[in-house]
Amino acid sequence: MREELVHNLRAVYARLWVRIKGGNREPEWIVAELVIPLLTLSAYVYLYKMLNAPAEFAGFVVIGGTMIAFWVNVLWNMSAQFYWEKETGNLEIYFVTPVSRMAILLGMALGGIVNTTLRAVVILGAGTFLFQAPLIVNEPLTALLMFMLTIIALYALGMLFASLFMLYGREAWHTANLLQEPVYFFSGSYFPLSSQIVPYAVQLLSSLIPLTFGLDGIRRVIIQGQGIREIWLDVVALSVFIIILLPLARFALNYMENLGKKEGRLTLRWQ
Amino acid sequence: MNTILRTVKQAIWLGWKVETNWADPLIFAIYYLIRPLSGLLIVGFVFLIGSAFGAGFSPEYFAYMFIGNSFFIYVVQIMMTMSMLIHDDRAHYEVLKHIYLSPGSWTWYILGRALNGVMNASISLLLTLGFGVLIFQHALGIQIPINWVGINFPPLLLSLTLGIVCFIAIGFILCGINIMTSKVQFMLTDYVSGILYLFGGVIFVPQVLPSWGQTISNALPITYFLRIIRLAVLNMESSSVEADLFYLFITMIATIILGVVVFKIAEYKARRDGLIDKKEEY
Repeated sequence: MREELVHNLRAVYARLWVRIKGGNREPEWIVAELVIPLLTLSAYVYLYKMLNAPAEFAGFVVIGGTMIAFWVNVLWNMSAQFYWEKETGNLEIYFVTPVSRMAILLGMALGGIVNTTLRAVVILGAGTFLFQAPLIVNEPLTALLMFMLTIIALYALGMLFASLFMLYGREAWHTANLLQEPVYFFSGSYFPLSSQIVPYAVQLLSSLIPLTFGLDGIRRVIIQGQGIREIWLDVVALSVFIIILLPLARFALNYMENLGKKEGRLTLRWQ
Repeated sequence: MNTILRTVKQAIWLGWKVETNWADPLIFAIYYLIRPLSGLLIVGFVFLIGSAFGAGFSPEYFAYMFIGNSFFIYVVQIMMTMSMLIHDDRAHYEVLKHIYLSPGSWTWYILGRALNGVMNASISLLLTLGFGVLIFQHALGIQIPINWVGINFPPLLLSLTLGIVCFIAIGFILCGINIMTSKVQFMLTDYVSGILYLFGGVIFVPQVLPSWGQTISNALPITYFLRIIRLAVLNMESSSVEADLFYLFITMIATIILGVVVFKIAEYKARRDGLIDKKEEY
């Protein structure tokens, strides 16, 4: 039992190390990951400026643009990762090592969280400075709690997707693309979903995405200066997501692995 | 000439097959609709909510944003197709060396693949415009002041042609950079799209930008491309169409020259340094 735990923790560390090293290997990648989100969020800030919207909307966009970095990381570096690993021939190595697949996924997730958090802090700082976005943080610990819950829920979703993407061929690329911008829209990354202008059906669909609750809670704490009493519903929603998604990811991973073995699709390349 | 035409035709066909053979036509059509439509919905709701809290709703500005964001599909699709092309053919499918050795020039092959991107963008554009009108005008009751039967087609088609040639030339620059480098294909697409989206007057008027941003905007072909398209689709009388067409033509020529130079340098370096069959283990 103890030996198994140590093995798995080593696997977590090994995968985390590779992710952090790999993610920071190329300086031009780091620059791109900082500059490109700023280009997009700047366009939305200028659109709000053209419409003479209140200054707090700049903060709204900056936080949305910052948290999107995590969604992009979850989608491309978690969900699609087993597809990339299959294409490069690494997936079979993972399957013959005597460790839990969840340990590998956890290592990937932790590495992704470290890398993306570093970038997110810079995007948040630069966006706030450039657009003079007014931030009011009365309860920093609540902000931290919301951030942690959002990240755990998002990466749990990434773990679930990773098992589904594992058997994909080239449709993995299209599927990840397909999930990117619709989630920006449904999670209200650049506009408040609670507005009466947003149709009820959109709000209902939005509640299926953890990022929606995370963004709502973080914005209320950081922009509107609210506290845990006002955002408890977001905390509960994210906790429910985590409780459901983590065991579901484990189940899906075992199921898809068995299916892949039966159909001989775990080592297929260039599908 | 026959070889060139055959190469372009086969490349368009190959591009179409590569893009479409992963799904049935319905799912493919949904895929080609969902992404650009989501982008339009984001900007649309930002506009509506920003207007409600700000200066009030302006149908003219909504049409400005609606047309700009919809036609921006050409930039995204052409950049994505051409930026991924070298990586996919060289590192992923490992066929670039065979294409280079075949009798037809790889320049015409790349052009054919780019034209496939134009074709896909056109499908996306028509679907996005149709569903965009359906959602905003019919479902949400927003009046978009566009007379679809009164579109002024000559300037629209001229601007589309010049603009697309210009974007393909930018795509050749990206191909050249990708030949000489590795693993930068994703960021190149996002850089070019991001810069053109921010400075090209796509969803907001460039006058909102600081003065240095307006200077960049004035140097970009997309600014004139979208301006002419808006004038044509909204059927507005304007004396600036000729001037905009002239600037678009000038920026197109400059981009073509730059594209040819970068691509030729890349081809020379690729042959000299053995980059055409470079393996990346991506």
